[in-house]
Amino acid sequence: MTHLVQAIALGLLIGGVYALMASGLTLIFGVMRIINIAQGAFLILVAMLTWWLWHETGIDPILASVVTTPLMFGFGWVAYRLLLSRIRGSSASMSVLLTFGFALVIEGVLNITAGNKFKSATPSYFEESFRVGAISLPKAQVFGFLAAMAVLGVLYFVLTRTWTGRAIRAATQNPSGAALVGVGATGTAALAFAIGSATTGVGGSILSVLYPFFPASHYDWISRLLGIVVLGGMGSLPGALIGAGILGLAETLTATYGSLNWSTLVFYIVIMVVLLFRPQGLFGAKLREDTV
Amino acid sequence: MLSLKGVVAGYGGGSVLQGVDLECAPQTITCIVGPNGAGKSTVLRVISGLLKPSSGEISMNGEAIADRSPDEILRRGITQVPQSHALFPTMSVRENVLMGGYLIRKQRALLRERLDMVLERVPIVAARGGDNAGNLSGGQRRMVEIARCLMLDPKLILLDEPSLGLDPRSLAGVAGLINELNQAGTTVLLVEQNVRLGLGLATHGVVMEGGKVRLTGTATAIKDDPEIASLYLGGASGSSADGRSSGGPKTETTSV
Repeated sequence: MTHLVQAIALGLLIGGVYALMASGLTLIFGVMRIINIAQGAFLILVAMLTWWLWHETGIDPILASVVTTPLMFGFGWVAYRLLLSRIRGSSASMSVLLTFGFALVIEGVLNITAGNKFKSATPSYFEESFRVGAISLPKAQVFGFLAAMAVLGVLYFVLTRTWTGRAIRAATQNPSGAALVGVGATGTAALAFAIGSATTGVGGSILSVLYPFFPASHYDWISRLLGIVVLGGMGSLPGALIGAGILGLAETLTATYGSLNWSTLVFYIVIMVVLLFRPQGLFGAKLREDTV
Repeated sequence: MLSLKGVVAGYGGGSVLQGVDLECAPQTITCIVGPNGAGKSTVLRVISGLLKPSSGEISMNGEAIADRSPDEILRRGITQVPQSHALFPTMSVRENVLMGGYLIRKQRALLRERLDMVLERVPIVAARGGDNAGNLSGGQRRMVEIARCLMLDPKLILLDEPSLGLDPRSLAGVAGLINELNQAGTTVLLVEQNVRLGLGLATHGVVMEGGKVRLTGTATAIKDDPEIASLYLGGASGSSADGRSSGGPKTETTSV
């Protein structure tokens, strides 16, 4: 019983972090129909940057997101203007090719500058846990979860209470309707891409503490994120949150009762099952090209 | 007020509009009628800037607007209500209407004033304000779409088939709202398949066919002309049956 409660608690903590990471991916797809395969590489880029900041200055890795988030916002803005705006109006598969290429470039640059070695930021609380009754919650996971929830809260506020957010939601739900009320397509898309990238600023900083990583880890991460977003429904934010919760739970439960080796496979199995039986996911638009 | 001269436009390679000339005088209601594929909706799309004309001139109060972006055209007081799916389905009705004021979002006092005006003029917005727009009926949706475009206090409203898919009662409500707006000084240009309804509402009529304007005149003249009805409108106006036609084109009706 304790095992089960422990696994569920850990699963939800991880799910919260996954939710934050997936929110950016689904937001970008929702507004632009761009499947940003480079989202995983953005995470690793930030993790690397966080590790370096922590290593050089001793700053807390999760707090380092105060630096990495605005950086990634700017990075996303520039990337959209220079790169992704060029494929506006093309099919979603074109965006997969372009962003996959982008991910490879980031991976290559990281290989050259940071080396092809596993890294992990290990702040002082790294091995400490909070104890709640019989279960123990690793501090790093709790802090990561709290940071993720805080950012999701801000994201929710921006999307529902500000004009920028309304414009983004309008463009997501009905692009021509948005144009009719004067929402500019390019500006909104660039903003959405910048915000989607900014979520990796926090996500990557959390990742640097919770998981060892090296430049090619982005393949693993984008697969997880795609699993979550496909399960929740491409473009649906609530879908991404629920998908992240489900997969976080599935992963820890598999690790607890099956084996660690199988736990990452859960994501791939979910992608295949969802695409076979419910291609639109729980909440969203269909991923298949002919319906996008 | 609004003037189109020799406008050519289309999608992909072809030209749907093949030299359209059109005038809308201030405070009139002009109704474009004609068979499917005549280019009626396309005319509205080039005016609102959603489609760029390949040649020709469009001007609003003497200023050329053909090269302007949709938001620049909106700023000049031209708003469009498209045929369908104009709303944001998972936003509330109130938020949908508020989005109509996106361009004046920084003028808070004005925004509030406009919202109050719209709430008063279109009661459904107040009555269903908190509901998601996707849960409204077709008639209610159409009212909200028109309400949304009022947020910019438009000089000219473009309506694409306002009657589409509406039951008679909703239809009367929409027609009443259009009349009210016109009486308050707004110029209206609408496209309508329901010829009797459209021309009944309008002061002026325009008959389009094959991407060109074939006839213009007062709405009554076009509606009551049996020849026009049978040639362009498939006899749909049916006005000769109720004996109002006096036979032969009216003097205001001019061939183009």
